[in-house]
Amino acid sequence: MEPLAPHEKIFVDSDIVDDENHGEIACHECHGGNPDDPNWKTAHKGVMKDPTYPDATAACGDCHDEINENYQKSLHASLRPYKLIMDERASSNTVIRNKLGCAMDTHCSECHSSCGQCHISRPNSVEGGFLDGHLFQKKPPMQEVCTACHGSRIQKEYLGEHEGLLPSIHKKKYMKCDKCHTGEEMHGNGKDYAHRYDVENGPKCVDCHKEIYKRESTNVITHRIHKDKASCHVCHSQPYNNCSACHVGKDKQGLAFFKTKSSWVDFKIGLNPLKSEKRPEKFVTLRHVPVDKKTFDYYVKDALSNFDTLPSWKLATPHNIRLKTKQNANCNACHGNESLFLLEKDVEDNEKEANKNVIVPVNLIPKRQKWQPK
Amino acid sequence: MKYFKVIGVAAAFCLAIILSSTLICHAYEDTQCFQCHTSAKKLIEATREIAKTRPALKSAETSGEG
Repeated sequence: MEPLAPHEKIFVDSDIVDDENHGEIACHECHGGNPDDPNWKTAHKGVMKDPTYPDATAACGDCHDEINENYQKSLHASLRPYKLIMDERASSNTVIRNKLGCAMDTHCSECHSSCGQCHISRPNSVEGGFLDGHLFQKKPPMQEVCTACHGSRIQKEYLGEHEGLLPSIHKKKYMKCDKCHTGEEMHGNGKDYAHRYDVENGPKCVDCHKEIYKRESTNVITHRIHKDKASCHVCHSQPYNNCSACHVGKDKQGLAFFKTKSSWVDFKIGLNPLKSEKRPEKFVTLRHVPVDKKTFDYYVKDALSNFDTLPSWKLATPHNIRLKTKQNANCNACHGNESLFLLEKDVEDNEKEANKNVIVPVNLIPKRQKWQPK
Repeated sequence: MKYFKVIGVAAAFCLAIILSSTLICHAYEDTQCFQCHTSAKKLIEATREIAKTRPALKSAETSGEG
């Protein structure tokens, strides 16, 4: 993504007056400030850079009332799963929890979105800047909005930026994020979800690939045999990015920073930590997420004293899908292939307890097959 | 004659709507916000002035993938 010069970030395209929906709304009606003051320094007193965050009611609610109401609970705005996960890992000590809350406000809460930060500008977390001269974008552009935040994992996987790996077949079909992740999903439906995989209108492979279990379908046997046993990604993902320990703090100037240890590309099948009616598979792909027991040590020691309650290898849906992959080349490319599975030896000693429910015991690895379907 | 009256009233109504929307557009195109934010020259001058006094926003200690 090309960085924008400071003036480019705030340059308004005069064509906005031709926008039949938004063109008649004066700047100060949303942003505040004094539109008659010729001195820009004083004119900007009280200006809201993003009048749609944290509450978009005044700016968008009059016309987009339903979206506005639901959006408050959309995960992009509420960040609820982040908070719940950290709450679960956090110490029960109230003083420590309060300090952890402050640290999360400083470091984690920055990564949110809003109406404005999808449809008008790049997200704040990547330093903002209008997408197209403040012209309203019905569909947010993928690389300036979606992958601007979801870069190190989704972008690299989807576009095939990891050395030796191919882009997702969906990219090759010219699909953008919104093809699967619809506006309805992004805006939320008013329900408070605890996890992004709980979202009811989130994408499912079978929404498009409806035929895979039908008799006349290619590979019907393979699909039927593996139904509810392995997620689609287990067979169709390529290796993907994994991140390690993220540590946060403030520098001498008081500016917030984060440091992550090296990331690595790998592919690991583990036991499904989020088994449900919607996701009944026994085996899923797991990704190591950038957290460890000392992530918040700068702010307070032992903040995550209940770290072991949740795995640090989490259910993942890598965005680098291919029809043919190394592990689905034939049955025994996967069956009996220990290197594909998350075994105890693959997990760091201090994370073994946290991941005990997702580590695959050797005796659960599917046995090598003598018979193979044609 | 009656039809002429109806057409006349309708035409006047449409004209009033068009004129009022044009006036609204003009009203906001005349604001200082619009004048400045649609001028690259003015914005370059202002952002250069801001850059002189603005402290760093990001820590140089940030490293790794976010």
